[in-house]
Amino acid sequence: MYAIYLIVYGIILTGVLGVIASWIDRKVTARIHYRVGPPFLQPVIDIIKLMGKETVVPEGASKTTFLLAPIMGYASISVASAILWMNQLEVTQGFLGDIIVVIYLLTIPSISLMLGGFASGNPLARVGASREMKLMLSYELPFIFAILVPIIKSNYSLRLGQILASQAGGNVFALSFSGAIALIVSIICIQAKMGIVPFDIAEAETEIMGGVIIEYSGTPLAIFRLMKHMMLFTLPFFLIILYLGGFNFQGIGILYSILKYVLMLVIIVVIKNTNPRVRIDHAMRFFWGPATIASIVAIILSILGI
Amino acid sequence: MTREELVSDLKERFKSDIIDFYDRSPTRIYIEIKPESLVKVASYIFKDLKARFNIASALDAKTHIEILYHFTLEYLRVLVSLRVKLNRDRPKIDSLAPVFKGANWIEREMNELLGIDFTGHPNLKRLLLPESWPEGVYPLRADYKEWDKNAVRDRGV
Amino acid sequence: MAKLGIKTRALLKSPWVFHVATGSCNNCDIEILDVLTPRFDVERFGILLAPSIRHADVLLITGAGSRKSMERVMRLYEMAPKPCLVVCIGECAMSRGIFMPSYNMPKPIDHYLPVDAYIPGCPPKPEAIIAGIVKLIEKKKGGK
Repeated sequence: MYAIYLIVYGIILTGVLGVIASWIDRKVTARIHYRVGPPFLQPVIDIIKLMGKETVVPEGASKTTFLLAPIMGYASISVASAILWMNQLEVTQGFLGDIIVVIYLLTIPSISLMLGGFASGNPLARVGASREMKLMLSYELPFIFAILVPIIKSNYSLRLGQILASQAGGNVFALSFSGAIALIVSIICIQAKMGIVPFDIAEAETEIMGGVIIEYSGTPLAIFRLMKHMMLFTLPFFLIILYLGGFNFQGIGILYSILKYVLMLVIIVVIKNTNPRVRIDHAMRFFWGPATIASIVAIILSILGI
Repeated sequence: MTREELVSDLKERFKSDIIDFYDRSPTRIYIEIKPESLVKVASYIFKDLKARFNIASALDAKTHIEILYHFTLEYLRVLVSLRVKLNRDRPKIDSLAPVFKGANWIEREMNELLGIDFTGHPNLKRLLLPESWPEGVYPLRADYKEWDKNAVRDRGV
Repeated sequence: MAKLGIKTRALLKSPWVFHVATGSCNNCDIEILDVLTPRFDVERFGILLAPSIRHADVLLITGAGSRKSMERVMRLYEMAPKPCLVVCIGECAMSRGIFMPSYNMPKPIDHYLPVDAYIPGCPPKPEAIIAGIVKLIEKKKGGK
């Protein structure tokens, strides 16, 4: 029973939706640059082409870690997405503490990128991986504080199903002050989690020649890219469940659901295209400074009930 | 100091070292000096007149090898060039690298491309030519011959 | 005409380019940079600039191959995962141009590597570079 959820919803549906999301990202970026973008199947063709090239393992790399890191990240994002879909489709199917499991599983893709970077045996990959480590230390703090807000507002429950149920009927958490502040902080934090400009420090293309993924080629690289596309779908989906009441599949609700997701995606893409890449110490100072303070303010407001 | 003061000062101070003084353009002065007094004149121009060492250029005239050292004085808009003429069979001169660091690499390049020996240079290694280049073959000399049997020298049409 | 396999068709629809400069005057490098700007928009062909040699599908080589740099370019070609295409851009890469008698450029680049396309010009205009890449894709689709 859970296996069907994992395979159908976790792997296949999230994969397809992730690839469509990545195409939307590239097309909207192209339109902002005033040019035509790639055709519709371009991300799929990229992955098929990468699977057709040979896999080169460098001599100084530790082979097992190098090849297992992408699979680890891909597996964890699939399981996290399967848990989210399980809660979305049938509210009573979750278990106590599943929000903690989802938070834990969503940190593993970044860790797998780091592991892959350190296992590569390339000094530039090591620089990229250490930057990813510093970035992760900085954005996890306001992210977890911001997730505490819907937990508090839905009567201190740790079930995703309970959070969804308290938003039923149209009074979503994002309409209150604390929810709105927490939503804004969360959007900036997931931009850093997905490694998108202005926070793509780990994979800075022009500075350190690809950073973490410099030595990857062929099928492992294809799995990393697929993992990143799936994160582009799963993380906004997580935020929609927490703050915007989740998807609704009856009647006019389908239109509103698609609108919610597209709105979040467009916000992420517009922030991506209007900002330069920040330095690592600026990013740390930002996440431990204004972002943490804003999320603590949101927690206090939510305890007071506003 | 003005340009005329500079000219007269140089002519006065190094009267025994200057062979020729060519001064027909408002911004360039060419001074030909004896090879033995290079360090003395160059240190004076660099340290006391506060000039900037630009570059050194060398060429193989058929009868001798000559090196030009270019110094700029920005506050006067003048470029002073010191010319030394060396013997073609065994070109040898004192190195300027102990005086100022800017001469270090250009002297290595002149050594490997023209075969000029700089005495007193701290690190006379190869700079631009690859490791597989044979010793004793100097490409910028007038009598350089193709030593590489595998080179393709026809245009193929 | 043989039907191409799915690997070759996917490679031709999403070629990621990697730029190698071997002792050029940098004019061809500037023109390659111009091709990758939004004005000529090569992303509609799926062309992206690959940050690392391990992600490269097409090597764009400029400059007459000097002795020192060709040792490194041979190592780069070995590092690129096959199948990898090689394109020579500009007169110097094609045949060393006016630098044919030079002491530092013994052989043209296609005596070192198997080259798939040549794009003449000094430097070639961005439109010429795009036309050359399209001709290369058409030639590979023709089954050769």
